[in-house]
Amino acid sequence: MSTGFDPGAAPRPDVRSEMLLGARSLAAPAPPSEARGITSDLSVDEALLLHAAGWEPLDLVCGVAVVSVPVGVWNWGRGAISLASDAHDQAVDQAAAQLRGECSKVHGHGVVGVRVEVSVRTHHIDVELVGTAVRPIGGKDARGTDAAQAMPFVSDLSARDFTLLQRAGWMPVGLAFGASFVYAPRRTAGTAMKQTRQNVELTNYTEAMYSARESAMEKMQHSALHTGGQGVVEVKVTEGPMSFARHAVGFTAWGTAVRLVAEAHQFVKPQVVLPLDDAVVTFDAESLRGGAAKGRRR
Amino acid sequence: MTDGQVGAAGPGEPGEPAGPAEGAPGTDLPEAAVRRLESTAFSSGLTVPDFAACLDLGLQPVALVQGFCVMQWGWYGQGSGYMRGMSPYVGGPQSAGSYSETYRCPHGFVSNEHRSWGQNLEQPWVEAAWAQGYGSAYQRMIEEATAHGAHGVIGVVDRVSSVADTGTTEFHFLGTAVTVDGGPPPAGGVPWSTYLAGQRLTKSIEAGFMPVAVVAALASVRVWAYCITEYLMEGSMSWGSPTGPHLIEQVSKAHMAVRQLARKHVRQQLTGDELHGATIDVVARELSQGDEVIDCTLRGNRMRRFKDFDQVELPRPTVRLS
Repeated sequence: MSTGFDPGAAPRPDVRSEMLLGARSLAAPAPPSEARGITSDLSVDEALLLHAAGWEPLDLVCGVAVVSVPVGVWNWGRGAISLASDAHDQAVDQAAAQLRGECSKVHGHGVVGVRVEVSVRTHHIDVELVGTAVRPIGGKDARGTDAAQAMPFVSDLSARDFTLLQRAGWMPVGLAFGASFVYAPRRTAGTAMKQTRQNVELTNYTEAMYSARESAMEKMQHSALHTGGQGVVEVKVTEGPMSFARHAVGFTAWGTAVRLVAEAHQFVKPQVVLPLDDAVVTFDAESLRGGAAKGRRR
Repeated sequence: MTDGQVGAAGPGEPGEPAGPAEGAPGTDLPEAAVRRLESTAFSSGLTVPDFAACLDLGLQPVALVQGFCVMQWGWYGQGSGYMRGMSPYVGGPQSAGSYSETYRCPHGFVSNEHRSWGQNLEQPWVEAAWAQGYGSAYQRMIEEATAHGAHGVIGVVDRVSSVADTGTTEFHFLGTAVTVDGGPPPAGGVPWSTYLAGQRLTKSIEAGFMPVAVVAALASVRVWAYCITEYLMEGSMSWGSPTGPHLIEQVSKAHMAVRQLARKHVRQQLTGDELHGATIDVVARELSQGDEVIDCTLRGNRMRRFKDFDQVELPRPTVRLS
């Protein structure tokens, strides 16, 4: 497949005649059909791009899990709040398993554009994953059709990024997640009193944040290796004190685990373009004669 | 004005007068509306780029068309025809084939307050009320477009909002009615509709997909928590509740079910066509003691393939110098 762009090679179709063709298709009632229509949350651009890359959308798929956080977990303490981290991991694993299950049911080889929603509450952690199941056109997959359907990849990359990644010789293998919740240790009463009138760093919070971050990132990288990935792209992080327990800080990191499937990384050489619709810097002709030299942007 | 079902692709029902005819004898239109309909000026809700793309495509804007419907939610508790709200064991018009799952307490009899039963229950009456409001507003917009002789409605925007804290919901549709230059009227004279406009619509047409209708559905599931769900959701400790993190099966299943139901309802409106650009919105209202109401709305563009797909070449990656 040629990947080069040649403006002379593909003339733009006459959209008016295409529109007329479409209007004529609706002039007669549609014949009754038992076909299971495709559903997808992809934009038109994304769907076209996927097709261009040899993939097609199949179905909108979801995975949801609500996992309890045991009583008393958020009470004052020291160190990591491991039960909350475990609850988070369990919710993510369960939701991803459901998403994969729905994908396999429609014979998908993976899920792209997954929207990740994580809600940490006092007594439960909710995880929702929504995306579009896809498969290669013609069903040919380098991993083998059975293997691909048995273990579909899950990726929160957009269809555009998925296409670019694939072009560079990489493939997503799964979502990599890591979360850590840590108590910010109390300051002593004396320290708190002393610092009342000072501009001072609250090192207990800073250290707790660093501790949570190290643990969450380590878990995410471990999770990437566990799913067979070599690294993680498009890592997103959320961090900060819990709204319902200000003495605890949370750090969540997730992204798409990827692995190289080509023999070597394929360099994508982008073409440099200079858009002509950008703001133009103009100048006042008076400035040439030593007048007010004021460049102006319009 | 008529009541309608959203996404109906067949002929619309004939209009019925709904109020006193002030401006036009024999119709329910206000005087100003008659003048508006008779005007030769077109109106549109399109942005300038969308308007330009619309003309490129051979679509002529005719009028900005709208449809409204304000619905009051009925009382579903004791005394209502639905008889829900007291106990899931109380009968009610539960449609055959609708979703429900029952959960039994593992403890045996503990006390009268103990939640010995639990149920996830689809609420078809809520779904039907939403579909009625949404469908009526949609049908009214389509009626306006039909009155203008339009072939389709593009750039549809729909809004569902609470009018006040009285259980009243307003459904509002807005779109630009268009005619296709030299094109035949759609089957049954009912205009097609789409959320798309401008370049996004042009790309769809170029790719071989013709919009048929906007489609949407609401699915609603009520969670009646049983004791274990109650303990886990409220963080109360009790005999039999797990001490570590634990999947809350009843609530997780309800969340999955409501999304599956929404997709099922929308799929029923597709009749073999495709759904593009779907958006899924979920609202979960936690009540008390682990009870929840989960509503899921799914909407998108129903599209029909009218030609084989023209595979586009992979675009060349670019870097902007700006």
